[in-house]
Amino acid sequence: MPATPRTSGQLFLRGALDALALPAWVVGMSLFAVGSLAGETGFPAGAAVLSTLLIWAGPAQVIFFAGIAAGTALPAIALAVGLSSIRLLPMTMSVLPMLREQAKDAPRQILVAHYVTVTVWVEALRRLPAMPPDARLPYYLGFANTCLGLCAVTTFIGYSLVGALPLPLAAGLLFLTPTFFTLSLAAGARGTSDWFAIGAGFVLAPLSTALVGKDIDLLVTGLVGGTAAYLFGRPRRGAA
Amino acid sequence: MSSEALQSGLWPYLLVIAFGFLPSEVWRVLAVFLARGFDERSEILVWVRAVATTLVAGVVAKILFAPAGALAAVPLGWRLGALALGIAAFFLARRSVMAGVVAGEAALVAATWWIAGALP
Repeated sequence: MPATPRTSGQLFLRGALDALALPAWVVGMSLFAVGSLAGETGFPAGAAVLSTLLIWAGPAQVIFFAGIAAGTALPAIALAVGLSSIRLLPMTMSVLPMLREQAKDAPRQILVAHYVTVTVWVEALRRLPAMPPDARLPYYLGFANTCLGLCAVTTFIGYSLVGALPLPLAAGLLFLTPTFFTLSLAAGARGTSDWFAIGAGFVLAPLSTALVGKDIDLLVTGLVGGTAAYLFGRPRRGAA
Repeated sequence: MSSEALQSGLWPYLLVIAFGFLPSEVWRVLAVFLARGFDERSEILVWVRAVATTLVAGVVAKILFAPAGALAAVPLGWRLGALALGIAAFFLARRSVMAGVVAGEAALVAATWWIAGALP
C-alpha cells in the first residue's frame, strides 16, 4: 500500500470541505428547527446550543424539547430520548472498527463515538473503507466537527428566530430530517439487503407502534427488521 | 415545572445533560465496549449494520406518522407524498441527495402553504 501523500491537516480539511458540500448544511437546517423548537420552551439559548453539542441527535433533541414544552415528566422524557437513540448503538459499532487504527484507547474511541449521527455514519460507511486506515481519523474528525460546529451556530440562529417562521417553513425544516435520512440511506445502499432493511424499518415501525406501543417500537423494529434483512442478504453475499 | 425554574441559572443546562445527553450518549459509549474485538469485515457487523439501517428507516417512519411541532399541522398524506416525490427526484437525478431533498422540501412547503392559506 502506498504511503498516504496527505498530512493530517489536509485530510481534516478535506473532511471539512466534504461536509460543507451539502451534508453539514442539511443537518444544520434540521438543527435550526430544533433551535426554534427550543426557543418555545423558555430554555436559554445556551441550553439549546448545549443540546446540539452534547445530545447531537436531532430526533432525540426534538423529543426532549417537545416534551419539555408539553410539560411531560422528566423521567418519561429521558426514557423516550433513550429509546429514540437506540440506533446510535449499532451505528457507532459499525463506525468504530474503521477508526480503531488511530483511536486505540477507550477515551479516544468514546470521543470518536460522540460524533456519530446519521449523517456522519452514512458518510463514514461510504468513504472510510476506501481510505488507508491511518488517513481515516483526521478526515472523520474534519467532517464531523464541521457538521457539529455549523449545527451549533444554526441551533442558535433557529432559537433566535423563534416565532418568526411561517408555518410552511417551520414544517419544512422539521421535514428535513426524515427526507435527508431516507435519501442518505438510499444513497448508501449497496445491495438488496440494504433495501430490504430500509423497507422493513419503514413498514415495521408503525406496525410495532400499534403492537408494542411507542416506547419499545423502534427496538422491536430494528431487531426484527434488521435480522430479517441480514438473513435475506446472507445467501446473496455468499454467492457474490 | 414553572417557566421561571426553567430559565433560572444552571437548571436548564442540567436538564439537558441529565435527561437529554446521558440517555442518548449511553448508546454511543456502550457501542465502544461492544465493538471491541470486532474486525471491520466481521460477519456480526454486517448484521449490526442491517439493524442500524432498519432503525434509521424506523425513525423516519415515526417522524412521518407521528410528527412533533409544525410538521403535525401537515396531513399524513402530504407528508408521505412529499417524501415519495423526494425519492423520485433522487432517482431521476441519478441518485442526487441534493435534488431529492430540494424536491421533497419544495413539495412539503408548497403543500403546507396551500393548506395554511394566506400567509403574512
